[in-house]
Amino acid sequence: MDNPTVAQSGLWLLILLPLAGALVNGLVGRKLGKANVALIAIGAMIAAFLSALVVYAQVLAGRNVAAGGDTWFRVLGPDGRAMVSVAWGLWVDRLSGTLLLVVTGVGLLIHIYSTSYMSHEDDAGYARFFTYLNLFVAAMLTLVLGDSLVLTFVGWEGVGLCSYLLIGFWYTDEQKAYCGRKAFVTNRIGDFGFLIGLFTILSIFGTASYAQLAAAVKGQGIHTVLTAGAFSGWTLGGALTLATLGLFVGCAGKSAQLPLYVWLPDAMAGPTPVSALIHAATMVTAGVYLVARTSFLFALAPATMATVCLVGALTAVFAAAIAFFQNDIKKVLAYSTVSQLGFMFIGVGAGVFFAGVMHLVTHAFFKACLFLGAGSVMHGMHEDTDIRNMGGLKDKMPHTRMTFLIATMAITGIVPLSGFFSKDAILAGALMSENAAFPAVGKIAYVLGTLAAAGTAFYMMRCYFLTFSGKPRTAVAAHAHESSPAMTVPLWILAILSVVALFLGLPRFELFGHWGEIFGDFMHPVFAQALGILHGEGGEAAEHVALWPFAVAWGVALAMGGLAYAMYVGNLKEVPGKLARAFPAVYQFGVDKFRVDELYDLFVVKFVKNGAWVLWKVVDRIVIEGIFVNGIPWVVAQLGRFFRLGQNGDLQRYAAVIAVAAAVVLWVVLGTGAR
Amino acid sequence: MNNLLSIVVFLPLFGALGLTFFPAAELKQHRVVALLVSLVTFGLSLGLWFGFDASPAASEFQFEITAPWVPSLGIGYHVGLDGVALLLTLLTTMLTPLVVLSTFKAVQERVKEFMIALLVLETAMLGSFAALDLVLFYVFWEAMLIPMYLLIGIWGSENRLYATVKFFIYTFVASVLMLVAILYVRAHDGGSFDYLAARNALQASGSAQRWLFLAFALAFAVKVPMFPLHTWLPDAHTEAPTAGSVILAGVLLKMGTFGFFRYALPLFPEAALHFRPVIAGLAVVGIVYGALMCIVQSDMKRLVAYSSVSHLGFVMLGLMALTAEGLTGGVYQMLNHGVSTGALFLLVGMLYERRHTRLIAEYGGIAKQVPWIATAFVVVTLSSIGLPGTNGFVGEFLILSGTWLARLRHAPWYAAVGATGVILGAVYMLWMVEKVFFGRIVNAENRHLPDLSVREAVVIVPLIVLIVVMGLVPQPFLDPARPAVDRLLTRFQAVEQQLQNEQPGRPPSVGTESPGLAAALAAPGLEGTVR
Repeated sequence: MDNPTVAQSGLWLLILLPLAGALVNGLVGRKLGKANVALIAIGAMIAAFLSALVVYAQVLAGRNVAAGGDTWFRVLGPDGRAMVSVAWGLWVDRLSGTLLLVVTGVGLLIHIYSTSYMSHEDDAGYARFFTYLNLFVAAMLTLVLGDSLVLTFVGWEGVGLCSYLLIGFWYTDEQKAYCGRKAFVTNRIGDFGFLIGLFTILSIFGTASYAQLAAAVKGQGIHTVLTAGAFSGWTLGGALTLATLGLFVGCAGKSAQLPLYVWLPDAMAGPTPVSALIHAATMVTAGVYLVARTSFLFALAPATMATVCLVGALTAVFAAAIAFFQNDIKKVLAYSTVSQLGFMFIGVGAGVFFAGVMHLVTHAFFKACLFLGAGSVMHGMHEDTDIRNMGGLKDKMPHTRMTFLIATMAITGIVPLSGFFSKDAILAGALMSENAAFPAVGKIAYVLGTLAAAGTAFYMMRCYFLTFSGKPRTAVAAHAHESSPAMTVPLWILAILSVVALFLGLPRFELFGHWGEIFGDFMHPVFAQALGILHGEGGEAAEHVALWPFAVAWGVALAMGGLAYAMYVGNLKEVPGKLARAFPAVYQFGVDKFRVDELYDLFVVKFVKNGAWVLWKVVDRIVIEGIFVNGIPWVVAQLGRFFRLGQNGDLQRYAAVIAVAAAVVLWVVLGTGAR
Repeated sequence: MNNLLSIVVFLPLFGALGLTFFPAAELKQHRVVALLVSLVTFGLSLGLWFGFDASPAASEFQFEITAPWVPSLGIGYHVGLDGVALLLTLLTTMLTPLVVLSTFKAVQERVKEFMIALLVLETAMLGSFAALDLVLFYVFWEAMLIPMYLLIGIWGSENRLYATVKFFIYTFVASVLMLVAILYVRAHDGGSFDYLAARNALQASGSAQRWLFLAFALAFAVKVPMFPLHTWLPDAHTEAPTAGSVILAGVLLKMGTFGFFRYALPLFPEAALHFRPVIAGLAVVGIVYGALMCIVQSDMKRLVAYSSVSHLGFVMLGLMALTAEGLTGGVYQMLNHGVSTGALFLLVGMLYERRHTRLIAEYGGIAKQVPWIATAFVVVTLSSIGLPGTNGFVGEFLILSGTWLARLRHAPWYAAVGATGVILGAVYMLWMVEKVFFGRIVNAENRHLPDLSVREAVVIVPLIVLIVVMGLVPQPFLDPARPAVDRLLTRFQAVEQQLQNEQPGRPPSVGTESPGLAAALAAPGLEGTVR
């Protein structure tokens, strides 16, 4: 935040362009024909990407760019002070600028790819698809560029909506519609946490603007005592722990971390370009972005940092373990995404923020490439996604195969591809990190992360070998065909990017022993405040960088990749089958994704549903309706019936009652009753 | 100009009188005349909108008229609008023409009587918002019951008699207590039937104030409806014709929350402070409970009815926060609920006209047949679950943040539990969308449903435009409420000052908390700036 800021209201064009594309295609797209729809959608994306380049040039030149600040809504109390005041402000610094490039760049490639991939849709469906896709980009850019937590939340919910609409894009399939709803609801659970975090921050600082928050915590320590509000008497660190934990619940929802990851594998029901753009490259990384964006708050809450790091590490291992057992190419990639997101959280949780973000960027390239490759394979395979039915595609689909291989090597962390640098910057950083609340967390994360990296190398190579190597195992695979250039060109661009992104992670040696990566130095102004809090003012991370963690990681990747080769191509081909037969229960448990969905269904979904049903029947129907609403009239009616006994028109009885009553009165007034 | 408010209030009534002169067999004439009358009313009410001065210096009630009505009893014809009443007046005049238009096909029997009932109802609703005399208010308030009773009882579905009698008795019994309280206010020291006079001079003792507050609050709580007084609502909504449901949800329920804002809170602030935790607690229970009820409904209208319980719980929570944010959000959410739940009932009504069933299970997969209805339904759903960019977000955000920042003991807990309604809202609304519109068509009757007609588009598009406009540009709708909200808060602060003088050490309970970090106050740009 050291860089000077220039104001440019034109920044809004970045968001308005794709939004306009969505509006046009949404309202009249079905009548325009596919070519025009694609033209509008891609035109909007090209314009957005070019604008992004212009903006980024300024960022590279060392300036931040801000726009707007017009009020969205604001409530002034009688005293004229606005605690809740939300403005339409955008802000591009090195962090959001980098994300901006990724979103518009990868987004553009995926738009181009989709023109071919979705060409089988009818006109209405085609228009609907590009409407949602443009809308998504607009929402994602709002998330990234928004200059306050509230605007980020706007984008946050907006991308959730687009994700819902796109997962359920083929809504006539009940299962797919259900998957979309599951994604939305799970994300809403996360959003609940986000809101709690946001409100806590509001009551500590009275603002949700990033710049003002950063200014407010400047010079504050963990032990500063709050003097007003719901948290008066708390320390700043304590209140911020609550706030950041809330935000992290939101991150766990959006970025598919334990225990809220369950929606992401099901999100694969959407068209494959959607999986690439939303559920791999951009939206699911929003949680990592949020932690990085508010790093100066997280740094003041070491317990949260430890939680983030640990949850990331556990997720990385857990998802990698499930990926071992999956035979659906998209499911393998989905669990791999969950696992890689875990790596990013290890990074930001351990305080190596730049490494988390770097992995976000490189992952966007190679995972988008992998998903688009998978889509290409599915096209060739007539929508079959089971890798057991594939094999031998390397000759049929050379471009898809080469790009898939490059991306696989990148994610595996083979030197010198980009994944090696970003992933191992995270692991080495975690190993060196020291958390004030839980000192061992970095070491634990390193061990778990390395395990997960080993797993990644194995299951990704397995996926590659089963798909492309050997001989075709089915007739469909034998007759597979390569996809059109509209699909292969984006594949190649992404594959090349997954290689050249390695330069981000290249070390830079300078005089006086300064040591850092190119990307780390570039991001330094963004994270300087957080690092200052973590390591003391002006201090840096302990910089005795050991090289052995990198060597370990490289060795692990090679060894596990080799093992996968042996088991799925080489001499050990019988081993996987034997293992599955030897431990059928374990195997089935893995195939069933550790039965987490069933667990949630039983303890959460059924619990709420049945609880609601019981409440309805007992409280609403019996207690309120039965006893009170209909009970009171019933009592009145009964009373009426009782008194009616004396009003039946029988004169003799009236006379008898009068006589008895008179006797009682006389007895009371004159007789013994009076004494 | 001076009489504009009275003209707006009574124009529908005159329209209804006029309708009596048209022959009952001429359905079209009744429809067109009713539509024209309601449109002209809306047009005139825009004059109120543009004529209203929302600056703090402007007088509290504008377009004010005072005339003696029953001088011997001290009852006057006193009407006027503050910003909140203005917004609700606009909501009413905007919804009525749409409702009239929506009945052109749905109502084929006794069209004349139907239109008359609708127009009479509109006058009663507008009068309730405009009244500044307690008896006048009570008259309009009860006058609403009759046309609504008839709308449900005559044009409703199978079980309409049970529902309409229940509706009538539920609300009537509670209102009678309010009448007793009104009479007591008049009889008491400094009391008067005139709202302003009573508010300024009423000197009720602590315990009397509490009873009076409870009497008013009960009448309003039934109307809202607050848990556990809500069970008339699902029945009334389910049995009412579409038009009845829209008016009921769109405007009538707001009578309850408006009543709290206008009468129960400012007239009896001390008692309101006393009962505040209970009411706020019931509001939160209503949010969660209403949402849970929605999950297990199989009837679309019943589901939307229970969702109203949940949404109105948000409104009540916002009012009870007694912060500028909460109160403003509460007012805003009243409008939002009118727009989006109104639209939801209209859409459900459109489906009902096509298939003559409200059961969710009878539908499924119809998005392919009726893409525009499906699109509209999804947009309205998003508004209902408070997605940013729609009006619902602004309201819910203000309410929840206003509650979180309230000077109420355990305020964050109320907000946090209330916020779970955000999750549950998505659960039931998206479930309904999925079951009605997505999946395969299993029921052959759904195969040839016609999509949105032009008339239906004219009905629903204005509401969708409002949903988006109020979501993106909320300030023009927030600003009019500000003077009224500020006055209410100032009033409470004055009362609290007095209480603090009597009981030193009493913690402040009104208004918004300051930022916890003292240094944050000094941070640049915080004081009343745009951020």
